[in-house]
Amino acid sequence: MVKVKLLFFARARELAGRSEDFITIPEKITCVELLEIIVKERSLQEIQNSIILSINEQLYHTDDIVNLREGDEIAVIPPLSGG
Amino acid sequence: MLVTGIGLSGQIKLKSSKVLIVGSGGLGCPSAVYLAAAGVGEITLVDYDEVELSNLHRQILHTEDDLGEPKVQSAYDKLHCINRNIRIIPVNQLLDSNRMKLIMSKTKYDVVIDGSDNVATRYLLNDSCVLNGVPLVSGSALQTEAQLTVFNHQNGPCYRCLFPVPPPPETVTSCGDGGVLGPVPGVIGVLQALEAIKIIVGLNGLLSQRLLLFDGINSTFRNVKLRSRNPNCAVCGDNPTITDLIDYEQFCRASAHDKVGNIDIVDESSNVSVQELFKQLGKKIVIDVRPKVQFEMCHLTHTVNIPFDDIIKADGVLKIQQLINNITVQEVYVICRRGNDSQRTIRFLHDTHQDSMMDLKNVRGGLHAYSQYVDADFPVF
Repeated sequence: MVKVKLLFFARARELAGRSEDFITIPEKITCVELLEIIVKERSLQEIQNSIILSINEQLYHTDDIVNLREGDEIAVIPPLSGG
Repeated sequence: MLVTGIGLSGQIKLKSSKVLIVGSGGLGCPSAVYLAAAGVGEITLVDYDEVELSNLHRQILHTEDDLGEPKVQSAYDKLHCINRNIRIIPVNQLLDSNRMKLIMSKTKYDVVIDGSDNVATRYLLNDSCVLNGVPLVSGSALQTEAQLTVFNHQNGPCYRCLFPVPPPPETVTSCGDGGVLGPVPGVIGVLQALEAIKIIVGLNGLLSQRLLLFDGINSTFRNVKLRSRNPNCAVCGDNPTITDLIDYEQFCRASAHDKVGNIDIVDESSNVSVQELFKQLGKKIVIDVRPKVQFEMCHLTHTVNIPFDDIIKADGVLKIQQLINNITVQEVYVICRRGNDSQRTIRFLHDTHQDSMMDLKNVRGGLHAYSQYVDADFPVF
């Protein structure tokens, strides 16, 4: 297990009620599982199909397997549509 | 232009270029200013909306004198004063698939700027740009955050590669409801112009395959590295399933604008007018269900704030019951900004507290109607 930092943007920030915090998760995990954990732990169900995840500022896709390290930054990014 | 890497050839490219800017609002205004001033030869502006006072903090081409004017006309007038040597074409229309097809068939654009304010238009512009092979400079902003990227350029992804499924409409907050801090779309609109200039001139360093996240509160820019286009994408993939524009309002289950429609979900007998409310102020219990921040900005005297979000999620119902138990009159008026959340409140309490003695009345049209029909000095936003 590793402790990683979560960064929330836009609607994810509203739902999580904060802009960042930490979570402890398995170091080897698929992106789908990672998303599932984050959605469940931070109550993001309503936007779970329209989120992209980046790890250390690199986008990950659902079928990727991720090797996380202590202190990695995972950004939870829903689209913004206003202007 | 004196800047190294642009020079005479770059200026000529700008002069012979054509840019479509969709939305003459918080993103489109700053974008258009810089593109016009840079000498982009032809700029087409598309917007259906009219200038309102609440636009002026961010939509910098419009002034108090323009209130009620079509935004594209107001924008045209100012841009024409900035540069009389370019062609500016105002199109005062709400964009849909057919109109977009017509616009794209008439002119071969070098760049499209997405300065729209809704999800349906974002998918429409994306698909149209993919089908016509035009790069899309996509900016968006809400409250204190913004995003910017270049889609459909140099084998980079399109909007659908990132977001194949539109967000559920009830999770989408518009600038009209959530608010937006003026300089936030300003920053992004200016950067959209910069990306457009770089595409036209042929400079490197574009925000293609990169997503820029701007946080206005912490003054931070983050660059998220994206991948090349998704070969399985429905529109730009190797075997696309979308080969023609579709009905985007249906696809997104939301309108192609950010105006709020009026709902009608309570019985006619549960409605009261704003005139009736005015007579009963101080006599009946009136609950204002707007968010606390809106109540603090302005509210009617003798009204109590219990936000709709508290009623459905937290202890709001208990507060209402306590309020009512203290007196004998059981008729309670519910009011909000436009008369929608007040109906949702009544519906929610009806469904969840059928045994209650409360007789809830919806103040039809909310505080907007109050301002319109009872007291013009009551502020609306």
